[in-house]
Amino acid sequence: MADTPIPLEVRNIKKRFGDTEVLKGLSLQARKGDVITLIGASGSGKSTFLRCMNLLEQPDEGDLIVHGEEVLFKQTRHGREPADWKQVVRMRAKLSMVFQSFNLWAHMTLLENVIEAPIHVLGKPRKEAIEQGRALLERVGLTERADAYPAQMSGGQQQRGAIARALAMGPEVMLFDEPTSALDPELVGDVLRVMHGLADEGRTMVVVTHEMGFARDVSSQVIYLHQGLVEEAGPPQDVLVNPTSPRLKQFLAPKY
Amino acid sequence: MELVNWFNELLAGNLIFTPQTLGYYWNGVVTTTQLVFLSLLVGLVMAVPLSILRGSKHRWIKLPIYAYTYVFRGTPLLIQLYIIYYGVVFVDGIQQTFLWPLLREAFYPALIAFTLNTAAYTTEIFHGAIKATARGEIEAARAYGMSDRMMMRRIILPSAFRRALPAYGNEVIFMLHASAIASVVTLMDITGAARFVYARYYAPFEAFLFAAAIYLCLTFAILYFFRFLERRLLAHLRPQN
Repeated sequence: MADTPIPLEVRNIKKRFGDTEVLKGLSLQARKGDVITLIGASGSGKSTFLRCMNLLEQPDEGDLIVHGEEVLFKQTRHGREPADWKQVVRMRAKLSMVFQSFNLWAHMTLLENVIEAPIHVLGKPRKEAIEQGRALLERVGLTERADAYPAQMSGGQQQRGAIARALAMGPEVMLFDEPTSALDPELVGDVLRVMHGLADEGRTMVVVTHEMGFARDVSSQVIYLHQGLVEEAGPPQDVLVNPTSPRLKQFLAPKY
Repeated sequence: MELVNWFNELLAGNLIFTPQTLGYYWNGVVTTTQLVFLSLLVGLVMAVPLSILRGSKHRWIKLPIYAYTYVFRGTPLLIQLYIIYYGVVFVDGIQQTFLWPLLREAFYPALIAFTLNTAAYTTEIFHGAIKATARGEIEAARAYGMSDRMMMRRIILPSAFRRALPAYGNEVIFMLHASAIASVVTLMDITGAARFVYARYYAPFEAFLFAAAIYLCLTFAILYFFRFLERRLLAHLRPQN
């Protein structure tokens, strides 16, 4: 076990938008099977931090190591950029992301969405990809919706479909960016159940969420961010049940 | 044989729609169809790369294309046709080239004018559709390891072309109707045939109403074709019931 590389490690990530520094040096290490949840008020930088992990945002400083491979950067006129975009493409294929607003490709059916990247990015044979895609749709409970277009599905179905799409990549780490925030309350449960199942089978996950119940039940580590810094981090029993920082106490307190 | 007899009987006693004038109209339909179809085809082939480059980050790629579409959309097609048809004679040395036998005809200058015109409009239609691609879908393509080129080919263009389909259908109909002005440079298209019949028999209603009926039929065929395409390709925008 000690020899297998760590799926995802980020060190000292800094990011500024214009004059505001949104990430002031954040680090995280996701070992195999870890479920790390990032919580915090809006504007705390948790989504930006997650997006830096697969370079949808370019961090101004810091290191990113995916499955033992360090991503190389270079300085250009416009700021810091990855030195080798091929490496970025390779590394992104190992980290699959589930978005707040699902972001399924609207002109493709659900099954086509699921098999698209495995076929065209990973080079998987079509037949194999379809077989795997159907199995994944069954797993998220969407067997009958394989030929539906995203616009014809409910938000919860779309998000479970997006999770199937993410799983189809066979990712080292799954990144979830507030996966239930855009859903009607009665649909949240279905998505959380699927995510719970993934955690139980030992998937490595980094989850930005507002679902404290989920964070408490599933996480191996909870990180509370405040204004671009880690305010408190640790196992959920400590962070969520016995918080020490007054800010976190207030954040967790019932709102009304 | 029977059909020919039936046809002759039908036309018996009709002074205007003789087999001869109908022949003019038929040739007009062929000319109009060729002109419109070829200009749309070449225009489409030009518009696809132009619309992609139109969204380029580099000023020296983007600006010339914008200038081109702006000029061709900003001036009347008739003027463009005049400039090309009458102006081409004055290009130095053109009469010595192999192109001259073609350019001397009315058809090719008209084809060039129509092609450049429709390519400009189509470029802007596609460019708008490409720009309207949902940001989230682009982000998802990035996050799933697609290169820019693959993303363009697999995600952006398929979704943009579908979105552009209704607007492009209008452009096709517009081109069909705009092609009527080809008759002013002596081309015997449908309108040209109608003008000829009108001049010979001094029968404006018969001559032009018949031409209008032909245009209507062609328009209907185009509409039907695009409705078919939209039904097939835009299924994802229709709610399921």
